[in-house]
Amino acid sequence: MLPYFFEWDCISVHREVSLNRWHAVSSWTWDAQDETCGICRMAFDGCCPDCKLPGDDCPLIWGACNHAFHLHCILKWVNSQSAQAHCPMCRREWQFKE
Amino acid sequence: MTCDTSSSGCDLDILDSLSDDSILEISENWNGFCASSESLLKGSDGDDSSLNAEFVMRAENLCKHGLASLVEQHLFRSIEEIFERNGARRFWSYFEPYSNFAPSETNKDPILEEEIQQVICKALEEISSQKQFQEKCLSLLAHALQSYEEDKLQEKANPDSIRDYLFSKYQLIVSSVLLTSLPHHFPGILHWYFKGRLEELSTIAAANSEDEDELGMNDKMDLDEKTKLPYKCGDMDSDINQKYAVFSENNKLVKNIGMVVRNLRNIGFTSMAEDAYASAIFFLLKDKVHDLAGDDYRSSVLESIKAWIQAVPLQFLRALLDYLGDFTSCDGPSSGLKSPLASHPSLCYSGTGIPSEGLVRWQLRLEYYAYETLQDLRIAKLFEIIVDYPDSAPAIEDLKQCLEYTGQHSKLVDSFISSLRYRLLTAGASTNDILHQYVSTIKALRTIDPAGVFLEAVGEPIREYLRGRKDTIKCIVTMLTDGTGGNPNGPGSSGDSLLEELNRDEESQENTIVDDDINTDDKQAWINAQNWEPDPVEADPSKGSRYRRKVDILGMIVGIIGSKDQLVNEYRVMLAEKLLNKSDYDIDAEIRTLELLKIHFGESSMQKCEIMLNDLIDSKRTNTNIKATIKHQAQPEQRDLDVSLDNLNATIISSNFWPPIQDEAVNLPEPVEQLLTDYAKRYTEIKTPRKLIWKKNLGSVKLELQFEDRAMQFNVTPLHASIIMQFQDQKKWTSKDLAAAVGVPVDVLNRRINFWISKGVLVESMGADSADHAFTLVETMNDTGKSGTIDGGCEELLAGDEDGERSVASVEDQLQKEMTVYEKFISGMLTNFGSMALDRIHNTLKMFCIADPTYDKSLQQLQSFLSGLVAEEKLEFRDGMYFLKK
Repeated sequence: MLPYFFEWDCISVHREVSLNRWHAVSSWTWDAQDETCGICRMAFDGCCPDCKLPGDDCPLIWGACNHAFHLHCILKWVNSQSAQAHCPMCRREWQFKE
Repeated sequence: MTCDTSSSGCDLDILDSLSDDSILEISENWNGFCASSESLLKGSDGDDSSLNAEFVMRAENLCKHGLASLVEQHLFRSIEEIFERNGARRFWSYFEPYSNFAPSETNKDPILEEEIQQVICKALEEISSQKQFQEKCLSLLAHALQSYEEDKLQEKANPDSIRDYLFSKYQLIVSSVLLTSLPHHFPGILHWYFKGRLEELSTIAAANSEDEDELGMNDKMDLDEKTKLPYKCGDMDSDINQKYAVFSENNKLVKNIGMVVRNLRNIGFTSMAEDAYASAIFFLLKDKVHDLAGDDYRSSVLESIKAWIQAVPLQFLRALLDYLGDFTSCDGPSSGLKSPLASHPSLCYSGTGIPSEGLVRWQLRLEYYAYETLQDLRIAKLFEIIVDYPDSAPAIEDLKQCLEYTGQHSKLVDSFISSLRYRLLTAGASTNDILHQYVSTIKALRTIDPAGVFLEAVGEPIREYLRGRKDTIKCIVTMLTDGTGGNPNGPGSSGDSLLEELNRDEESQENTIVDDDINTDDKQAWINAQNWEPDPVEADPSKGSRYRRKVDILGMIVGIIGSKDQLVNEYRVMLAEKLLNKSDYDIDAEIRTLELLKIHFGESSMQKCEIMLNDLIDSKRTNTNIKATIKHQAQPEQRDLDVSLDNLNATIISSNFWPPIQDEAVNLPEPVEQLLTDYAKRYTEIKTPRKLIWKKNLGSVKLELQFEDRAMQFNVTPLHASIIMQFQDQKKWTSKDLAAAVGVPVDVLNRRINFWISKGVLVESMGADSADHAFTLVETMNDTGKSGTIDGGCEELLAGDEDGERSVASVEDQLQKEMTVYEKFISGMLTNFGSMALDRIHNTLKMFCIADPTYDKSLQQLQSFLSGLVAEEKLEFRDGMYFLKK
């Protein structure tokens, strides 16, 4: 309750504004340094080419090198490499960030 | 004697061989013949047998001398003379007084009518008797000629051949004499006469049928008028025919008319009489159609018109034809009045069941005429009919049947297009009205013409016109999505909502899928092939066959816009607007609409919209999640304000898939800011590594203003809420200070604060500085005099786009934004080439802007952008070319 007072005919009358419901709008974004996935070049806030829905259905994954990719993109990449996979951005050995 | 010389001129030897005796005999006979024929023709009491005998004798004698043709010609000449002098002149003189009478005049003077009727009968009777008398003379001659022939050839000559020859010649003389002296008003009089008689007949018939109705009423109380009519002309057809037939035969009226017609035929006016009664019948029929059809489109009139045709004109014609036909076949006029139906009931079947050929022809003629009249009537009013389409379906059905008969579809198309141009496609008509009329037109014409050929022609001008309107897309999308307020089967759905149409299409699509399965069956394929019908001739061959042209309302509406992408885009904007202004997560209606749209536009094009709806569903889940965890943690230190997280809901969107959202900075009240931060923190905890970015200006706030005597509820935007909450700490603000506190520019504040002023919560007063207004909180509601309107804490809904405020950038704004990318390209082009035409700019952009962002705008879009640049004085436009402004 937000109380406030005002004068009316020299009498202080209590009047207030009460908020019954506040419906706010926000947008979510991945807390990544980059805007787009280095593999599919799609926005992180979007989804990888194989997915339909962004967000939970197409999450990001960070490597040990702190590079982020769409989970599906990097998995595809890692699986396609015969030996040890490297980060597509920095060529370091790819390791999922703990 | 000219005839004599000419006839003997070719055979002069005979002339030489003539003896004096025979010349004497000839001249004596000739004189006798002339005298006898003259007195014969003059004598009214023609039953003088001695005169007849002398006439015959003289004629025979002359014939023996080979003067048969002379005799004949002489007689005809004198007959003609007498007929012309006595018959024709007298006949016409009867009608002299009515020469000024205009038949078209709707003069219902019964005395005059009666008079004319009598005059016609009298005149006709007189001339007929005259003719009859002269015919008797002729038959004498025929007799003479015949006996001569018999003598000459010594064998029995065909008695009819001479007689027929003479009579037909006589007939010719009579009609030519009459026709050459025909006064111009006579056909009019005839027409008028027949019309009057028919009207009389029709009223009698109407009275009879009323009696019938009354009788029927007793038997079938449950049958209403409509069901009775077809019934009457169906099952009871023969019954009624019999009744009318009896009625017509015994009727003096028909007898009189029959007599008139017969007499007219007698004097060679067969075609004129027919014309007259035909035109009278048609006139009456037309009147009847107009009378029945009128301006009422809610009932079908075709059946009653047909029933009327059966009842009145056809019965009349049947009686008339019977009468005339019988007269010619039988000699006595008494038997002529009896139809086979009346005298021999056994012949009843042939009498009514198989009408004569003439009658059938008449029926077809009348029906065609009725169809055509009704069709013309309906086509002329088609616009009105379509305006109240679902109610006017019977009229449409009538029109369909008429058109099937007459095949004058092109008339419909032409007339309807011109009325559309004149009445609908004008600046005054709102786009919504045009669209509704378009939809009604599609529906109505679909019944008339399932193949959609004429619809194509009629729809084209409307589409063309709508393409030129800016708000067409918006209106279409509104039509698509609105109409079912929330629940699909609830009331309040305006009958014209397109969603309903989509639903039906959805069902029919299911049906066609089933059909396709059966189609694999050879038998079914064969049946389909047999049912094939060619396109109507009017079909445009370039438009493909009817199977591809299946009438699909949505398809036709999308056709207005040209591409579904634009429609989908507009829908997305409107959906975003709607979703962002929702204060709950109830999106069932939207999901349903989207599913239906997906069927038509394909899943991929509706992908973004689906994500938007998904966001709402996710938001709801996340929202509950966050609240649950917070409750779980049970934050101990309760703030001193009542706004807890319980009261806060959030819609969390995937901004990439939403249309560009208008983001304005706004300072929310401190406690709310705090709440939002808490909420975002919780979100990050749950959904790491994702975070929230608040769009503080969006959303909706439900608040309650409490006064000493009442409370008022409002549903407002966050900015409005923020403004009013500032007044809790300080009751008077200047606009500058308030704007700074709320964090918006002064002009925005001034615009928004009007809401509270209009609600009577704040008052505006001029401050010291004229640009700086002061706002004060109103202390009692009664002061403002507004209390009546918002009494009892009514809920005020403020739609987001009221006072021009939108949460989502409109399609035009988006387009403008997208086009600015190309401004550099365009100015570069114009620097190089100097001047360019619109086409060339368009093509060049298409050629060079392939990479991101791809140039995918239409020529019109480019043009509007360029004219925007011209208005900004960046470009110049002269003679169809664009220049850089120096």
